[in-house]
Amino acid sequence: MSNAILLYMASWAQGLNLKKTCAEYQVGLWQCPQFLFLVMGIVIISAILVTYVVASRYEEPEIASLVVLILTAILFAIGNLIVRAFERVALASKSKSEFISIMSHQLRSPLSAVKWQLNFLLSRDERENADFGAVQKYLQTVYNQNERMISSVNDLLEVNRIEDNDLILRPINVSLAEVTRRVLEEYKNFASASNVEFELRAESDQPAFADEERARHVIEHLADNAIRYSPGGGRVLIEIKKTDGKILWQITDHGAGIPKRDQSRVFEKFFRSDHALRYQTEGSGIGLFIAKSIIKKSGGEIGFSSSLEKGSTFWFTLPTGR
Amino acid sequence: MRKILFIEDEESLQKAMGDMLESKGYSALGAVEGESGLLAAKREMPDLILLDLILPKKNGFEVLEELKNDPSTKNIPVVVLTNLEGSAEVERALSLGATTYLVKANYKLDELLAKIETVLNHHS
Repeated sequence: MSNAILLYMASWAQGLNLKKTCAEYQVGLWQCPQFLFLVMGIVIISAILVTYVVASRYEEPEIASLVVLILTAILFAIGNLIVRAFERVALASKSKSEFISIMSHQLRSPLSAVKWQLNFLLSRDERENADFGAVQKYLQTVYNQNERMISSVNDLLEVNRIEDNDLILRPINVSLAEVTRRVLEEYKNFASASNVEFELRAESDQPAFADEERARHVIEHLADNAIRYSPGGGRVLIEIKKTDGKILWQITDHGAGIPKRDQSRVFEKFFRSDHALRYQTEGSGIGLFIAKSIIKKSGGEIGFSSSLEKGSTFWFTLPTGR
Repeated sequence: MRKILFIEDEESLQKAMGDMLESKGYSALGAVEGESGLLAAKREMPDLILLDLILPKKNGFEVLEELKNDPSTKNIPVVVLTNLEGSAEVERALSLGATTYLVKANYKLDELLAKIETVLNHHS
């Protein structure tokens, strides 16, 4: 019995290690429900004591009532903070569940493809698999699906780094024109298969000051979206200019566009417009969230303008090189 | 030869399933969008339709609803083959008239073929 009481007290004392508990929630002390609850307890006890002292020392009941009123207002404010803190913790948990659900679906598609392709090859005998060209086609598809999964997992890890405030950038002088050329080379086959033709107009050779790998990642996301949301193909223009002491990079397509009702949400994590799903089923809705986080952290800005069924222009700025 | 239409936007899945079906003596037809899938169903009158749910142009639920509302296609068995497995999706697909609901990642191709054969035998 005494052991049980000691154990209970030990766990209670551990619970009082508020700094550790709040660090686990990844919220500040004034957003941590446990800490706020403790503050509220202290305020309640103080309120009772103060009311007792005031009531016994002063004869005017108005003063005691006023003190009670003020303390009640403080308690109400702290109570409100506690509710908000719980909401924050609950939302973070909901967001993680959504994340797991979307990413597992994103990984399931290529995993099913790999499973079926290998299953088909393994179901055939040596004679049927003798056609090296046909087998190689299957292996190439398996390889592509594997690359897709690596890319999804990398995006997932990047989102985690952003949420943990652990996105470390290593800025150097970067030629955005050069990075864009390399991205366009990488996307050559995808663009041509989608009948998309890229045009690059680099008006400025001035380098930007940014993390090269992350800047490339942002350009890849925006170029990829321009191809995916240009049903039937068309021309996509990329312009690089120097403007107001910053480097402006922008991409204009003549594709599906974004409905007005969804425009305020396109940079939200996991958001995918119903309109976008009509054109492109693949995607997790985290590319633009990652792009925005990288650009903001690099000291730049990101935005877009879009007209339904006419196309979109996405742009970002980065500080100029030193 | 029995005809099977697979409406699926992932071309690698389309190819693996198509090759497997053909190796087992079926005639495999494919469509990568909901809209073209509906047209193919009406034109080809397949013996069975394998239907993904996340599809461009028209999603799988819309395709299923139109197939079941059209007197010419309403008797074709539709097997929903998707990677979504929320109870809401399963209930919606079955209430719209899907014969069965299967999750792609949970089945090998030969297991799917056995399921397809069971559905075909039941409807023949």
